[in-house]
Amino acid sequence: MSAAVEARSVAKVFGSIHALDGLSFSVRPGEIFGLIGPNGAGKTTALRIVSTLLLPTLGRVEVFGADVVNRADEVRRFITYLPEEAGAYRNLSGWEYLEFMGSFAAKNKDEIREMVRQGAEICGLGDRLKDRAKTYSKGMKRRLLVARALMSKPKLAILDEPTSGLDVLQSYRVRTIIKRFVQDHGVTILLSSHNMLEVEYLCNRVALLNRGKIVAGGKPQELKEKFESPNLEEVFAKVVGFA
Amino acid sequence: MLKGFGNFLLKELKELIRDPKILLGMIIVPLIMFPVLGAVMSFSVQSAKEAAGKTTLLILNQDTGPNSTQFIAYLNNSLSVYVTNATMIDDAVPQMATYNATELAEIPQDFSVNVSSGKAAQVRFYSIFSGGGITESVGSSIVDSLVGQFNRAVAPDVIVPEQGAIIKGKPENVDPRALSSLMISQAIALPITILILLTYSMQIAATSVAMEKEEKTLETVLTLPMDRFSILMGKLSGSIIVAGVGAVAYMIGFNYYMGSLTGLSQTGATPDLASLGLVPSLFGYLLLGTSLFITLLSALALAVILSAFAEDVRSAQSLVSYIYPLIFIPSLVLMYVDVNVLPVWLKAVLYAIPFSQPIIASKAVILGDYLTAGLGIVYVVGFTLVIMYVASRLFATEKILTAKLKLRGLRKRQGTSNEET
Repeated sequence: MSAAVEARSVAKVFGSIHALDGLSFSVRPGEIFGLIGPNGAGKTTALRIVSTLLLPTLGRVEVFGADVVNRADEVRRFITYLPEEAGAYRNLSGWEYLEFMGSFAAKNKDEIREMVRQGAEICGLGDRLKDRAKTYSKGMKRRLLVARALMSKPKLAILDEPTSGLDVLQSYRVRTIIKRFVQDHGVTILLSSHNMLEVEYLCNRVALLNRGKIVAGGKPQELKEKFESPNLEEVFAKVVGFA
Repeated sequence: MLKGFGNFLLKELKELIRDPKILLGMIIVPLIMFPVLGAVMSFSVQSAKEAAGKTTLLILNQDTGPNSTQFIAYLNNSLSVYVTNATMIDDAVPQMATYNATELAEIPQDFSVNVSSGKAAQVRFYSIFSGGGITESVGSSIVDSLVGQFNRAVAPDVIVPEQGAIIKGKPENVDPRALSSLMISQAIALPITILILLTYSMQIAATSVAMEKEEKTLETVLTLPMDRFSILMGKLSGSIIVAGVGAVAYMIGFNYYMGSLTGLSQTGATPDLASLGLVPSLFGYLLLGTSLFITLLSALALAVILSAFAEDVRSAQSLVSYIYPLIFIPSLVLMYVDVNVLPVWLKAVLYAIPFSQPIIASKAVILGDYLTAGLGIVYVVGFTLVIMYVASRLFATEKILTAKLKLRGLRKRQGTSNEET
């Protein structure tokens, strides 16, 4: 069975900035894989390449065997992408937004209805779904967007900082939903996060990024044992020579 | 006293003036646009005056007496005058092209008899009508003034000039000056509507793309399982529909305004354009509609391309405003000036601006000149295809996300991911 994501020696250069420098990692189907690292490490660029938004300068990325450059249209049928700073259409209601997004993944109106029902359950916005998105708080908007990314049960959901802007309880709720989705629907998740607690709780495996390169990778527990650290935060600090 | 007002004002001015988009759009563009417009207008009026100085008059003289010979000799001092041997006005009209004449005069049989007996002698003058413009009636005014001078020299009101126009090769008893002013008033409505439609829809298209960037929805949309060209076409179509509704509302309002003005100035002497064949045919309307639609599409695609380089709505609107001189100048020039009186190079510049084409077509179809309208459409289709191709390439690649306009020369380009990597 082909990997959900296979990235080999990926480099991305913006002018004089080397955002990624020989990045390689593999995500297995049905797992939650986390890219973790500080600001500027290359997490968002890596996720944008996997989601067909950016082209790699060098190297190759495949999603379920489809090349993200040559078969981008096919890749887009497998994935949903939640950017870190995503927004919703201000003048659409939450309900209309979910319907609009669902219409691209669904084959018929019944499927759209089912997706929207699922989305409504995930975000838990209740009657507020009837209101326009411009009236939502940052947390409500994020819940709507997470729901959008999961409701179609994509083969691969790419989530950039999924709990960005959410408070503790909302974050806990979203993390629970993500974990349940993987178990119930076999969805593969590729995510990035600053929150090491979140990563430890959610991810089956992680890759630690620094300056566009993977400096360590494996299961969170194995990494903690290998670097004799109580948490991933300390693992990372040791790997980059900060501690 | 307003405490802190001075400091705050200084900060505002610094922020606004240092923003290159505001500096260009609000200050430099108008500073260039209006002098250019003024220069073009005065140049065209000057050209028309010079052309009028070389007015050639063809005379159909049906009088055999000495007074008509005297009158012709008088006109010959100021104009190039030729006398045709045709006997009927309808036969004289085709000869105008041979003599390169723009004016035709018909001296009646009883001219000398009337002048000798002190009665008023009527002479009918015809001007070729070529589409309207403020310079259209200069030729007939020159002839008119010469007749006035002749009257003062010989006897007051001895010659009564009657004005006519040659429309599509047929002499018509309609005053060319009244016709010109009516055509100008009619011809103002369409260019203004086109101008409003183009600028308004460009703003909508640019805002629509920039809004996706500003509201951070573009990335999500670009990863949806849909053809990226569909996103582009969806944006263009949405802008066309909204702008079209706006244009219809504008047309209704403007029509009401023009109607009320016409109602005030009704004197009963207004030429009937339909009976003179000066309203477009169905085919003409079809050509005009096609020209307008294709031009609109190219303008919208251009707005989308420009907005791809903007990071927010304000920047996108500023960028699009740089195109406005290319819409305003041809609209205003063509509204008042007959393009045929312009020198070749200026004519070429006007024709090369795609946004001129619907206005040129609007005048051409009225005169039944379908070739000009058709060639204009072919040109704009070519331009639109190029622009659409560039826009579709922008949407098909990462450029739609990473493109940024650097207004400070050789500053190093950095990708959007610079801070987010």
